[in-house]
This record gives sequence, structure tokens and C-alpha cells, in this order.
Amino acid sequence: MESNLTDMRTVYGKTLIELGKSNHRIVVIGADTTNSLKISQFGKIFKNRFFNVGIAEANLVSIAAGLANAGKIVFAGTYAIFVPGRCVDQIRNAIAYPSRCNQKGLNVKLVVSHGGISVGADGGSHQQLEDIAIMRTIPNMKVLIPADSVSVSELTRIMSEKYGPFYMRMARPKTHTIHHTSQKFLLGKGIIVNDGSDCTIAACGITVKMALDAARLLKKDGISCQVIDMFSIKPLDNDILEKSARKTGFIITCEEHNVIAGFGSAVCETISNTYPVPIKRIGINDSFGESARDSEMTLLFKKHKLTPEDIANNVREIRR
Amino acid sequence: MKNYYSIKKTALKVRKLIIDCISDAGSGHPGGSLSMVEILGCLFYNHIKYNPKNPGWNKRDKLILSKGHASPGLFSYLAMMGYFEIDKLSTFRKFGSMLQGHPNLQCPGVEFCGGSLGIGLSFSIGDALAARIDNSSRRIYTIIGDGESDEGQIWEAAMSAAKYGIDNLTVILDRNYVQQDSHTEDIMPLDVIAENTNTENSIYTIKNKWKSFGWNVIDIDGHKIEQIDYAIRESKKIKNKPSIIIANTVKGKGIDHMEHNPNWHGQAPQREFIPLIDTELNSQFMIAPSIIAGYSSDLQNKIKLCEHAKADYIHLDVMDGIFVNNKTFDFKKIKELRNVTNLPFDVHLMISNPLKYIMKYIDAGSDIISVHVEACNESSFGEIHDILQNRGMGIGLAINPDTKLPEWSYNFLTSLDQLIVMSVQPGKSGQKYIETTHAKTQSLLHILHKYKFEGYIEADGGVCQTNIGQCFIDGARIFVGGNAIVGQSNVQNAITEFRHTILYTIKKLLISQANKIGGSKFIEKWINLHNKEKSSMINNIATDLGYM
Repeated sequence: MESNLTDMRTVYGKTLIELGKSNHRIVVIGADTTNSLKISQFGKIFKNRFFNVGIAEANLVSIAAGLANAGKIVFAGTYAIFVPGRCVDQIRNAIAYPSRCNQKGLNVKLVVSHGGISVGADGGSHQQLEDIAIMRTIPNMKVLIPADSVSVSELTRIMSEKYGPFYMRMARPKTHTIHHTSQKFLLGKGIIVNDGSDCTIAACGITVKMALDAARLLKKDGISCQVIDMFSIKPLDNDILEKSARKTGFIITCEEHNVIAGFGSAVCETISNTYPVPIKRIGINDSFGESARDSEMTLLFKKHKLTPEDIANNVREIRR
Repeated sequence: MKNYYSIKKTALKVRKLIIDCISDAGSGHPGGSLSMVEILGCLFYNHIKYNPKNPGWNKRDKLILSKGHASPGLFSYLAMMGYFEIDKLSTFRKFGSMLQGHPNLQCPGVEFCGGSLGIGLSFSIGDALAARIDNSSRRIYTIIGDGESDEGQIWEAAMSAAKYGIDNLTVILDRNYVQQDSHTEDIMPLDVIAENTNTENSIYTIKNKWKSFGWNVIDIDGHKIEQIDYAIRESKKIKNKPSIIIANTVKGKGIDHMEHNPNWHGQAPQREFIPLIDTELNSQFMIAPSIIAGYSSDLQNKIKLCEHAKADYIHLDVMDGIFVNNKTFDFKKIKELRNVTNLPFDVHLMISNPLKYIMKYIDAGSDIISVHVEACNESSFGEIHDILQNRGMGIGLAINPDTKLPEWSYNFLTSLDQLIVMSVQPGKSGQKYIETTHAKTQSLLHILHKYKFEGYIEADGGVCQTNIGQCFIDGARIFVGGNAIVGQSNVQNAITEFRHTILYTIKKLLISQANKIGGSKFIEKWINLHNKEKSSMINNIATDLGYM
């Protein structure tokens, strides 16, 4: 299935326009990164349902909350470093906290781009490596990390239909297509993208592709890997993880995020409750990133031991 | 304006509820709750469309309290306006209560989870933009604090509102000059940042800051109901531009030891002081200069002088030459004067057959209308009462020195707003106060109490420096000053002296009440709640009175 490269943001922008045509409650709001996020076109088509508040992220998410409070389905976003980075309190208190009857939190979808070190050249100050940790600890908040553009499109649609606050992190670079357009996405359900029985590799975002490549390397060694796309970080698919743990006996987690309190930690939290097995968390080892041009991206990932080869080595080591 | 007295009376009750619920909780924020009481009163009575029986009513306006720590103020109003039972306030800040320390949506009527400062204005802009998308006539009213204005997000929001020309939003800045640590101008000055800068003309004032951000700015006294009401009305008229009302208020307003005092930003009053606080709150008074004491040709100028001197009302003596021998002016003159000031017109009709003319006086722009018991009977006053009540006018009755309060009036006492007790024969200015009025007023209190009178007694006739203190003790809370104010060469001095005398009288009453509660030890404890300057002043009075 994996082949051509596509741009997550382009697909996101197009999907919003498609959704916006039939759903007039959808409002889009940005903060001076609307061209980059490919949402400015929405504003050209739906002039009165698009706002650009300038470089003011606290204001961005709080206005989004107010719009949602009045019944709008609000897609707000910029770069991951700024949302949640610049406005955790506003996200917590203005979006996630307000609850009426069965409506938990306000109907705001925080969709950001430029998560992780794959941001590249902009450097460490702009490489968001803490957002999963921050966002998943906020009650009522759901956290999604799509692996490819197909996921982006489907998850955007799901967010528009499902009430409540969401955070979705996209990657800056173009991504390989993992899923077929017919793939069904369900909130809180992982997708097995490679069936296997010797080990489990649970991944999210662009590391799903790395995990698949690692599985291919390991296949040559005769090791069969179960690779799961865990795009839904919260709610987390506890069942698929437990089943996989029972089947394979250990789990490797991959994320473009600090290994502290991120996706791997979330897996540890559930597995320790259900079927404890050894877990190895692969990600950024409690450090910041640094600049790297696109042509140097493999160097950056190698430095952080976050490549298919690194993943495969981890599997080999644990099996030894 | 409408509902002047309803707002005033509710504000008094709300202040007591605020003190009560914070005291009960053992923590909370009295200062910033008390400073916005009149603002909320004006909003609820005259501006916000709401339905307490259906809090989610889709045609409602929205009140966003960005300075969420002032929740006791908001909750007390929501209870008074019928969103929930008043006794629910006793659960404030307690486990299992819908009245959280800072408001959240569990409480009906709450539209925004305020508390973390700086967010509510952006949130309101979102709500206002949504109303615009929906072509809804909804208006958003947002209250922000001055300490809160330290938050950068306030200014992000200020720019956005101007960019989008948001005119379905009225922002009110509760400018009470105190934040948690200390005075705002010491912690983070909003008005002046450069030394040797004259505040009046400085470009650094908060008013000019908002102006330069592209806002329509209205600067008012945030405790004057008529000014708040006027400012909100004006804000609604402005199109394609956001409006902010800078309401200059007093932190802890109404309770002297809390006023301007940073200690009472977030401290609960102890139960033992509540009787004194109640007395203090019941001691609010109004000065009402009667402008006919001036030369009648110069009425506009006299009104301006009184306004400048911070009078509370303009008392207008209407005499028809029939009920009394003299003749002054009628509704035509009042209509003419209405444009001169926003001060409430306290219209005293010394005319016969007031029912016949009542509509004329309402239409002329009166705020409070008092008619004489001698010119009415139960039936005609009943009609007058209903007409005034239906139109949100202040309802007043007046009695002459030699008249007893007639029994037919008792049934109206519950909803009566003011009772003018004349201490001279009506019809002429410059007469001497009739001394027996003191005893008469005191004896009236019994009946008024029995019939649940919640209004104010107005002392009218010969009130001056020498008797005003005793008039206060008698129970009067509105003081008409003819010659003693408007007849003086310095109106401002005259009003200031009236105030000083009454404030001194109040302090004496409080000290003697404190003494009854717990002797000199308790007086001292109470005095120590005040700031240095005030405590030494009160201490001197207590010493003079022989308590210390």
C-alpha cells in the first residue's frame, strides 16, 4: 500500500472545505500560519466562517472556545510548538473544563502541524516533543496522531462529527501513504498494519512507516512483527494492546516525542493494568531537537536512534 | 432611567449575600465582588435578556465574568434573579456544590468558566463572532478586571475585536485599583508609566490605551447606577467598533475596612463582624440638592454645579400654586433639564390631583416621583403606585410636618421606594427645621418595619450641618439640601461637609454597636481590620467617646 508521498496539510485543508460545504456550523480559525496550514483557502470560500487572529495563540484558542460555546464546530490551529506550547492554560480552562450536561468540554478541534523533530531546519525551538504528554493529561481532551494523509482526511471528518475537544498533530514533511482510502478509522481503535506473532511494534504518526520498515528488516531475520498504527492516543485502544501483548510477549513503542509521559508511557499505563509484558519505549530521549535540512533528516533521526534500523535492533536485543 | 431603586435595593441585598457566603465558606474574594455590584445590577435589570427558568434560552444575551474570582457577586445576583434558591449560596466553595470557588457551567446562568485571568475577553469575541455568523441579535456583556489587564491576552483580544469591528459586545472594566498583592499602580501601573507625567492628560492612561487599540471608550463612576446605565446604552449605539466602559470603582465598596484595601482582595470576613458590616451597609445615604433654592433662572447651571460636587440626586420641587401657595415649575421644565445631567431626578410633586399629571412627569424623564399623602387617597395612590411600578419608576410618598402617615398607605409600604418626611411646611425655601420631626421620624420606623418597608426615608426641609447627623440617626438616608447646599456660595464644600458629618455619625454608631457586642476589646479588634490611616481616625473617635 505504501508508496507515494503526500502532504498532510493539503489534505487537511481540502477536507475542511469539503466538510464546510455541507456543515455550516464549521468555523476555521488560524494564527498567521493559515497559508502554511493550507486553511486560508477555506476563508476564501467561506468568508464569514474564517478568522485569522494574528500571532496570538492564547487568543486563538480562547476565541475558538467562545465560538464553540455558541454552537460552532471550530477547527483552530497553527504549529504544534505554539499550540499547545503557548496556551496550555487556555486549552485546559476555556476548552476542556467547561462542561454542560453530557457535553464534556467545548467543541474545539485543535489541529496543528509541525510536530516532532521532523520539523527539521527550524531547529530545537520549533520542534514540539512534549505535546502528547501535555494534551493527554487534560481531562475531556482526545489526542490523535495520524500516520498519513488518508488518516488526516478521515480523522478530520470524525472530529467534525464527534462532539468534544480534540488535538490532532500533523507532521511537516510529506508522508508515505500507509492506509488504503477504504480503511475504516474508529476513535479509540488501533489498526494492525502488519500482522505478526513474535513482537509488537505500536507506533503513531510518521513512526508507523518506520515500524513497517523495521518489520521488513526483521522479516529477513525470520522475526514476524505485529505493527499497529495507534493514531488514537486518547482514547487508547487498550484491547488491541492487551491482545497483542498476550500474543507476542513484548511491545516496542515508537513516537516522535519525548519518551517521558508520551505515547509509550500511555501504553505502559494500560499494559501494567491488563497484561504486563516488557515494554521498550523508543522516541526522543528527554532532550531537545536541532536543525537539519530535509536532505539531512536521516542524520537527525539517527542521532536520536529513531530509524527503522534502530527499531529493529531494539527488537533483536529484547529477543536475545 | 428605569429601575433605579430596584437596582439599588438589590445591590444592598447582594452585598449582604456576598459577605454572608464568603464568611460561611471561610474563603473567597469580597473586594472584587463588592466593586461590581452596581454594574451587575444595571445589567440584569435593564440590559441583559435572560430567562432564569430557561437558562439556555436561545434568544438570551450572555454575561461573561472574566474576573471569575468575583464569583460571589455573580452567584448572589443569579440567586436574586431567580436562577436558583438563595439558600444555595450557603454551599458556596463547599464539597458537592454547584457554586464552585470560581464559576463553572454546573451553575445555571453561568456562561463562562472564569478564574484563570485574561481569557474571558477572547472567549466573548468568539461568542460575538458566532452571533454575527448566525445573524443573531444576541449581545455579549463582559466584565474584566484591572489586575487582569496585566495579562497580555487582554491586549491580543483588544486588537482582534477592533480588527473585526465587533459591536455586539460591551466590555466593562471593573477599575477598582487593587489586585492581590497590592494597588494596581504599584504592581503594574495601568495609568502612568513615566515619572512626572500628569495623569489627566497622559497618553499612558488606561483610557487612552484602549482608545489607541481602536475601541470606543466610556469613562464613568462604576457605582453610580445612572452612569452605568447611560454608558451601557451608549455602547449599544456604536456600530462597527468595540466598546469598553471604564467603570471606576472602589474595591470592597460599601464596607469601610475593605475599601481600597488589598488585604480584602481574597479574605473572608469573620462571622462576629457581620452585624457591624450589616449596619454599615444599611448606612448608605444619598445627598439630594434641591435646585429651586437657587435662582430659578439658573437651574441648568445649578444642576451642573451639583453634579460636579458629586450629588447623588437632583431634587426637584414641583409646586402648583394650589396644593401649596407657591408655584415653581412643571414637567415642561423637567423635560428641558433632562438633557443637562444623568443624575436621577427625584421629583417631589407638591401638587393637587397628582394622578392627573403623573404620566407627564414620567414622560418628562423623572426617575423617582413622590406624591403627597395629603393630595391622594387609597384609590388614587393605588393607581399612581401601579403606573410608577409598571414603568420601573421610583415610587415615593411625602408627608407634611403635621400629617400622620395615613393607614391606607400601609398596604403600599412593602413596595414603596422612598418616604419623604417633611420637616418644614412645604411651599417655601429657607425655613427652619421643625425639631419635633426627629421624634416623628423615629416613631415612623416602627410602622415601616412592621409593613416591611425596604425603601429610604428622605429628610426634606431645613436639613443642615447641625441637624443632619441626628436626621441620620432618626433613620433618614436621603438628605434634601436646599439653602444649605444650593444656597451656599461653594456647593461642593457644602456637600462634602454634609457627607463628613454623616460619615462621622456612622462611625459613632458603629463604635457604640461594637461596644455593645464585645466592649473595648472588640472595638479594637474591629478597628484593626482597617488600614492604618482609617484605624487611627476611628481610634480617635472611640477615644473621644470614652470607649478606649
